Amino acid sequence: MSPRSTPRFVRLAAGLLCGLALVGGALAQTTTKIGFQAGLTGPAAADGNAGLAAAKLAVEQINGAGGLNGKKLELVVYDDQGKPEQAVPIANRMVGDGVRAVVSAGFSGPSRAAAPVFQKAKIPYIASIAFAPEITRTGNYMFRVTSVGEVQGRAAAKLVGEVLRKKRTVLLTIKTDFGKTLAAGFKEAAPKFGVQLLKEYEYAPSDRQFGPLIASIKADNPEVIYATGFYFTAGPLVAQLRSAGITADVVGAESLSSQQYIDIAGQAAEGTVITNVIDWGSQLPEIADFLKAYEKATNSKAEAAATSTHAAVTTLAAAIRKARSDEPEKIRAALETTEVMTAIGRISFNKLHEVKKSFPLSIVRNGKWERFGVIDDAALLAPPEQ
Amino acid sequence: MSLFLNLSSQGLINGAVYALIAIGLAMVFGLLRILHIAHAGLFALGGYLGLVITNATGSFALGLVLSMALVAVCGVLMYRLCYEPILDQPPYVPLIASVGMFLAIEELLRLVFGDHGLSYHVPPLAGAIEVGSMRIKYAEIAVVVMACVLLGGLALFATRTRIGMAWRATVSEPRMAASCGVSLRQVRYLNFAIGSAFAAAAGVMVGVLNNLVEPSMGAVPSYKALAIIVLGGLGNMGGTLVAALLLGLVEAFGATYLSNYLDRDSIAFAAMLCVLLIRPEGLFSGPARATGGLAKTLQLKGAAKWVLTKRPS
Repeated sequence: MSPRSTPRFVRLAAGLLCGLALVGGALAQTTTKIGFQAGLTGPAAADGNAGLAAAKLAVEQINGAGGLNGKKLELVVYDDQGKPEQAVPIANRMVGDGVRAVVSAGFSGPSRAAAPVFQKAKIPYIASIAFAPEITRTGNYMFRVTSVGEVQGRAAAKLVGEVLRKKRTVLLTIKTDFGKTLAAGFKEAAPKFGVQLLKEYEYAPSDRQFGPLIASIKADNPEVIYATGFYFTAGPLVAQLRSAGITADVVGAESLSSQQYIDIAGQAAEGTVITNVIDWGSQLPEIADFLKAYEKATNSKAEAAATSTHAAVTTLAAAIRKARSDEPEKIRAALETTEVMTAIGRISFNKLHEVKKSFPLSIVRNGKWERFGVIDDAALLAPPEQ
Repeated sequence: MSLFLNLSSQGLINGAVYALIAIGLAMVFGLLRILHIAHAGLFALGGYLGLVITNATGSFALGLVLSMALVAVCGVLMYRLCYEPILDQPPYVPLIASVGMFLAIEELLRLVFGDHGLSYHVPPLAGAIEVGSMRIKYAEIAVVVMACVLLGGLALFATRTRIGMAWRATVSEPRMAASCGVSLRQVRYLNFAIGSAFAAAAGVMVGVLNNLVEPSMGAVPSYKALAIIVLGGLGNMGGTLVAALLLGLVEAFGATYLSNYLDRDSIAFAAMLCVLLIRPEGLFSGPARATGGLAKTLQLKGAAKWVLTKRPS
């Protein structure tokens, strides 16, 4: 080999490599990568996997209809195990994978931990079930499609005072961010609707036996019990309330929306009313089709986490379509002004990127969640702006 | 007054559940000086088996008995396959193995039976009786009765039968017992079988009380039972029982009067810390320093001496 031929060889190799890179780049351009974060194992797994099933369903539906701006969506799934310390490394990996936006069906802890990573990388991040207020305050790339606890608590106060027309209420609050913010919103709005607070009890998320609390609630003799919690706490709680002979109405939040709540509490669940994200029995195709498709895909009924996550992906898709681009900055700008019909109803974002939406009400009748009206009061349900 | 009675009865019911769980842990600690965290995994497994068998066959009695038997076998296998090969290692080795097995059982239950947990199709022992102004569920009565029968039976077995005496002898002087012809391995099998069966019974009853079994149902018992056996004087049977009942009562009243200041689950640990500071040997340790007649009679006639054993080789 002559000394002159080496540079030519190198040039050829470099050219080939460039060509390959271009082809590779072109291949990568045929899909838009959407990150998905949730606790798929560990204590958050029930909600996380429901969210994942719903996100996959949404992506299938969008791709089935031809994708977005000529590209298919690709879901890049990571498991945060329900732990904040796991959320940061997977957030960094998603950024490395080149995701254009991220949907989180993770709980508050891991979502709060991941948020700053995406804000720094300038990637839009939509929290679908995380209630921690810090998330949207992290920066302008953060969005949330579920109402913060205070807003839902205010809706519950209106439900008790105006829909059920009851007064004497006991709060039974789960000791989580979610439960405490619900209670705060309820207490704030209660006087407006003539609701009288008799007492507030708190319990830990690990509690399943409420005998002592129920003994004192019985002595309080309330008309309504506002029981925040999850199906695995409120299910046993309501069964124990009824078997102790307490007949007060039970009001809860969207976290009771799964069929498991009814399976656990059995007959005792009848008449429970919740502020929900699902409008059971709605004829709107965005809602009815999702509920049907989700049940078909997973063989179980939709609950709040799944429905909100589906809405998050739908909203993101609407923004990408509106932006006519999958550039993160353009998606972010489009999200700010997007107003879209989703499985949780019509939603848009306020200045702080908190969701503006109404609360469909659901009641347990004959072992099933049924529609019970709606709390639709834009002034009452205005999300925080800073 | 009615509130006081109501809270007391709830405390007793919780205490009975704690006693059933903690006794197995105390037995393993007494015999092998291992902190058997995976015991709570067996508790959860018992809850699941009882529910699955009951739902499949329609017979709760069969579910309960089969669950206890199967979990007893699992407990023995756990000892044989996991603990026995590492008994010579320093105590933290079996502890880590135990934590690993606990997590493995939890995730296995999640993989096999799903994230959401399961409920009884037809809740067994439904209904309640009225006692004055209180309503006590049949399931709650069943828990207390079961705890009394099982623990009473254990006390009789340990004090009145040849096998029981060989067992106690092994606990207090393993080498001497072995030289008298007692098979150490068989005693340990027996120990794990009984402790695990009790945990399964507790798991089944908790499943019935909540009408829910879930993969993480062992999480709270795993550390609360630890606090109980520390309170009771590590490995001390009678002390463990008293501590379990006391904790049940304290929690019942604490959950009502302190719920806005102190987590119910932290009460056990606050108590454990106090006891470790003031009486590191536990509330009821050592026959010479027993804290009065109640503890003494509850020490199951000499069973308390189990705590005195050295770590067997």
